[in-house]
Amino acid sequence: SVRFVHHLLKEKDSLKAKAFTEAFLRKSIKRPERFDLQNMLSHKALILGYNRPRKEKRKGTKAKGLNARQKRELKVFEIKPEHQRYELFLPLHELWRQYIIDLCSGLKPTSNPQAVQQKLLKADFHGAIITVVRSKCPSYVGTSGILVQEFKHVFKIITKEDKLKVIPKRSSVFAVEINGFVSHIYGSRFEHRASERSAKKFKVRGTIDL
Amino acid sequence: MLPTHDLDQTPRTLLVSESSSFLDPKNRVSAQVEQLRFNHQVSVLLPECSSAPSHLDSVLNSFSSFYLIRKLPVYELLDRHFLEAAVYHGAVYGLSYRTRIDEDNSIALTPNGHLTLSLDKDSFELLGFEGKPSRFNHRTATRFVVSVDLTDSSMAPGGRGYLRLLTGLTSRLQLQTDFLLSHHPGSGASLQSLLSRYDWSEHRPEVSCRVLSDLSCPALRSCDPHSLLEWLGAVDAGCHKIPSCHRSPVPTRRRRFVTVLTHLCSLSCRCYLEQPRLESWVSMTVHGFVDSPVSWGDREHGFLRGGENFYTLMMFHDHTYQLHLATGAHDACPP
Repeated sequence: SVRFVHHLLKEKDSLKAKAFTEAFLRKSIKRPERFDLQNMLSHKALILGYNRPRKEKRKGTKAKGLNARQKRELKVFEIKPEHQRYELFLPLHELWRQYIIDLCSGLKPTSNPQAVQQKLLKADFHGAIITVVRSKCPSYVGTSGILVQEFKHVFKIITKEDKLKVIPKRSSVFAVEINGFVSHIYGSRFEHRASERSAKKFKVRGTIDL
Repeated sequence: MLPTHDLDQTPRTLLVSESSSFLDPKNRVSAQVEQLRFNHQVSVLLPECSSAPSHLDSVLNSFSSFYLIRKLPVYELLDRHFLEAAVYHGAVYGLSYRTRIDEDNSIALTPNGHLTLSLDKDSFELLGFEGKPSRFNHRTATRFVVSVDLTDSSMAPGGRGYLRLLTGLTSRLQLQTDFLLSHHPGSGASLQSLLSRYDWSEHRPEVSCRVLSDLSCPALRSCDPHSLLEWLGAVDAGCHKIPSCHRSPVPTRRRRFVTVLTHLCSLSCRCYLEQPRLESWVSMTVHGFVDSPVSWGDREHGFLRGGENFYTLMMFHDHTYQLHLATGAHDACPP
């Protein structure tokens, strides 16, 4: 209590203070026989009033990426009108052709169509010339152009008339032609992001009706 | 099984009856019967004569012949010269031959310049031209109808719609059918350019005559339309035991593929009626094609539940007539 502390402060003699403190503690604290209080309390450092600076948590090293709203604001995937010209994408198409020919180890007329098809399932189609062959909506049929962007549910292609067309994948059949091999892609089964498709296993399902 | 359940199962039919007189200036008989354009059989029933009268004979024989073209590619119907020579003048009838309306693709060309394609799902998805699903689809859309007005400005040769349909029919969906073509009397030359490029044959409607004796017929004026049509159908089919009151010898005549209207035929029947007879009536039944994509008034014709469409004109001595227009369940109402 306050009276004892006051008394303690008055004593200048440290020995006397020590004796007093011990006597005070003996009187006020209960002494359970189980514990050896002397040992428990001695040689223990007690830090009073000193805070260690907390360690900074390490931030994740990989970038979180932008969410869809931010992407739309930054317009990352928009192609400006002055870039929307068919001739500008023809070199891309040549690159794609080379890539596919290398992928299928030379596209000879004697190569097995099944093997080519399996490789194409995991290939990237940016730069391919695709044509809509059949569609539930008649106005899409016949549109043809170079694929510039592939999203999860749509293809964005640029036609010879320099028009950027957005074609939904669902309920349409697309034809891709390389060196005489014509491959038909059923869009309803192709609704994956290009990056995810390379790791995807395609199940063999029955007939496909649009 | 309850009787009402049975009634739900029988396919429904539609019968429109009208009775009026030829002398009435407001009679619509020409306008009405003209709307059934593609007909394959005409039966005329004349009571109390053992052979057909001569002027009726001459009228029947003057029907123009029709042409059957084998394996005509449909894009030929969009040929510029054919359009200018025949279609724009409104003189051409065309129908695809031996194509079943519920399974194959059928094509009809009417004289007012309408081209109707009735396509199954795969053909429609390949063609890529605007069309509507058929009104008579059950649950899923399996048939589609593409209806094009060739006289419209958007389908003028060189226009966008014309080019789209032409590229569709030439490169995407190469439709090829046997085709029946006919024309109004006097404009036969317009078809020559089309015919010269393909394998064609000319046909005339065939006439057959039958004399039925000892046939009993009901009181025709007071009879209700259903029993009248039943009796006529039985006579046509050649049944002998038909219950009724009178007995008389009755000849019948038949024709095949008549598209030009039997206006002349009905006129000659009326002349016949003017002569005094005991039983003075004549009945003329015209049957439409069951497989045609269009029926009454260029509207869609369905086949899933019986595809009959026909009309019967009963003409009496005093210039009155009864016109019965009938159609099946999947059809538009006759005019």
